Amino acid sequence: MDTQDKDRELASPEMVRSSTVPPLDRFEIVADTPVPGELFTTPLAKNEGRKETLSPLRESLGRLRRDKRAMVSLGLIVLFILIPLLGPLIYQHIGGTYHSSLNGSISASIYHNPFHQELDRQDEFISGQYWLGTDVIGRDLLARLMQGMLVSLFVALVVEIVDIGLGILVGVLAGYYGGWIDQLLARFTDLMFAFPGLLFAIMITGIFGGYADTYLSSIPLIGANGNSRLILVSLALAFTAWPMMARYVRGQTLQIKEQQFIEAAHTAGTSDLRIIWRHIIPNLFSIVVVAATLDIANTVIGEAGLSLLGLGVQQPGSSIGLMISDGFAVIENHPWEVFLPSLILTAIVLAFSFLGDGLRDAFDPRSTS
Amino acid sequence: MLQFLVRRFIGFLFVILGVTFITFIMGYFAPGDPIRTLLGSHYSPLLYAQLKHEYGLDLPWYQQYWNYIVRLTRFDFGLSFKVQDRPVWDILKDGVPTTLELGLWALFFQILIGVPVGVFSALKANTWLDTANMGLMLVLFAIPSFVLAVYVQIIIVWLDTKTGLGWPVAGWGNTWQYGISDIQSKLFPTLVLIAAGLAYFARISRTSMLEVLRQDFVRTARAKGMRERVVIYRHALRNAMISLVTVFGFSLGLIVTSTFFIENIFNVPGIAQVTITSITDRDYPVIQATVILLATTVVLGNLISDLLYAVVDPRIKVS
Repeated sequence: MDTQDKDRELASPEMVRSSTVPPLDRFEIVADTPVPGELFTTPLAKNEGRKETLSPLRESLGRLRRDKRAMVSLGLIVLFILIPLLGPLIYQHIGGTYHSSLNGSISASIYHNPFHQELDRQDEFISGQYWLGTDVIGRDLLARLMQGMLVSLFVALVVEIVDIGLGILVGVLAGYYGGWIDQLLARFTDLMFAFPGLLFAIMITGIFGGYADTYLSSIPLIGANGNSRLILVSLALAFTAWPMMARYVRGQTLQIKEQQFIEAAHTAGTSDLRIIWRHIIPNLFSIVVVAATLDIANTVIGEAGLSLLGLGVQQPGSSIGLMISDGFAVIENHPWEVFLPSLILTAIVLAFSFLGDGLRDAFDPRSTS
Repeated sequence: MLQFLVRRFIGFLFVILGVTFITFIMGYFAPGDPIRTLLGSHYSPLLYAQLKHEYGLDLPWYQQYWNYIVRLTRFDFGLSFKVQDRPVWDILKDGVPTTLELGLWALFFQILIGVPVGVFSALKANTWLDTANMGLMLVLFAIPSFVLAVYVQIIIVWLDTKTGLGWPVAGWGNTWQYGISDIQSKLFPTLVLIAAGLAYFARISRTSMLEVLRQDFVRTARAKGMRERVVIYRHALRNAMISLVTVFGFSLGLIVTSTFFIENIFNVPGIAQVTITSITDRDYPVIQATVILLATTVVLGNLISDLLYAVVDPRIKVS
């Protein structure tokens, strides 16, 4: 096992690549955690050893760390994940009891609920009680925004699981074995490319949205509150995304397959399955991470776009796209309500695009020159 | 060359068959019984059977699919489920020129502006001009068209209320006519549609131009003392343009996707807008027809770019 790991590290394409890269500056080399299995931990031995054995992955991460735009994007992305997960838990305890003329005395956990309407507090701007204002029927915009981001997060997660799983499975098999599965993948991707971007998803959600509304709306969280079409939206988006991933993976597999360490593994009598699992899939890491990051941007756009067209999340649910469409109705008098979700969507999409770009440069420094 | 043409054409037919099959199957499994909806309170078993027969929905699926394809070749997309006896094509045909006009202008300006911007960036490679330019292009490419449309709308509406400008925020004016008010309505939807594709063309032209400038024949041309202008515009640029041909199909795809949002937000009466309306009415044949029309356009674009590529780069015949 250990020797196989060494094999991979020595002969992986990234290692070959990294020899063409200028040496890292001192700051990077001295940095952080101990390497597992290292015996000498005196500072001198550590530094000397590190210079030689800095793994390709850590070298790439070092390059990423120096890319300011990518790091800012990464920070934003962490925020975008934490806010919808933790935000509502905190927000619903902020603000005291409110004496509503319509609903009597209500606590913050009620009026900071994304679905609660406070009909005499319509179209308000930022205030202490409603941190980002209210919408046209008096719902809290911050609460709705966090709920919308949660929806984006959920869809992105489902799409990425299908995208990466199916993309690697089909891509590796097509690249490694070739033959009919390769032919099938090629034909299928040709077919899917005929449906540009969202066209396929628009058709699926447009036609089968009714089914989802009838059968899935009783599921808590991902079905209730107008979220019944989320699974459908996710599957439709995943279905359009994975052929591209499979194609990248196939290309990379073809390259790795030709290298000597695979030949060596063959000679040593390693089984095909083991070669794929231990030598090919780990080397797909960089390309899959880059493609997946860029795919998340497209997925978030896709979900928002479908909801904007009325094909995704339904009222009273919340999604960034639905908020844009709600706010658009009052663009003349309250442009804030449409500007806010648009701005957040722009930030999310740019963060993922920039991070994807940065990751690509970090993993493959030759691509920029 | 002939072999290449034949192979590409067979590929084209295969994809078109696949597209129609997927679209057909979607409609086949669509929820709800359209005949029942159509009849409403006039329902009677006899009338139901009659109408089902008239729409050809009592046949097995492969016969329905065959009929579907045969009818498609005659531009017959079937009958609407919403309005009895109204052909789908009748619903869509008013929108076609509008969508075509929007898309063609966008494509025209994308190439007209995007390519020079990319070439300019390549010539100034790694200066601040290049960095700023490509940064802007990355942002333009990444931002979804509907968000850009929203920003533009906010600005127009704000200007309208502040200055009483009276600039229209919705509608399209008269198709293929260019009076002042027509241009006013058409300007912003077209501009927003241009953005993503422009950035795409700029990025591709930059990469392609940089690649060509590194090649030996450019060095040779410079070495024998040819003027820089001639080297760049006559020798390098021509070769750089070859790779642009290959991305033509993809850029059509960008336009098609964005069209849905731009027609929706700017209330442009094109086929995408009609389709969105039909989705709320559950008029599935309209959705199917639009998907087939748009997908065919993109596939045709891909075919054309393949053929053009074979024409401009004879080496393709070998592979």
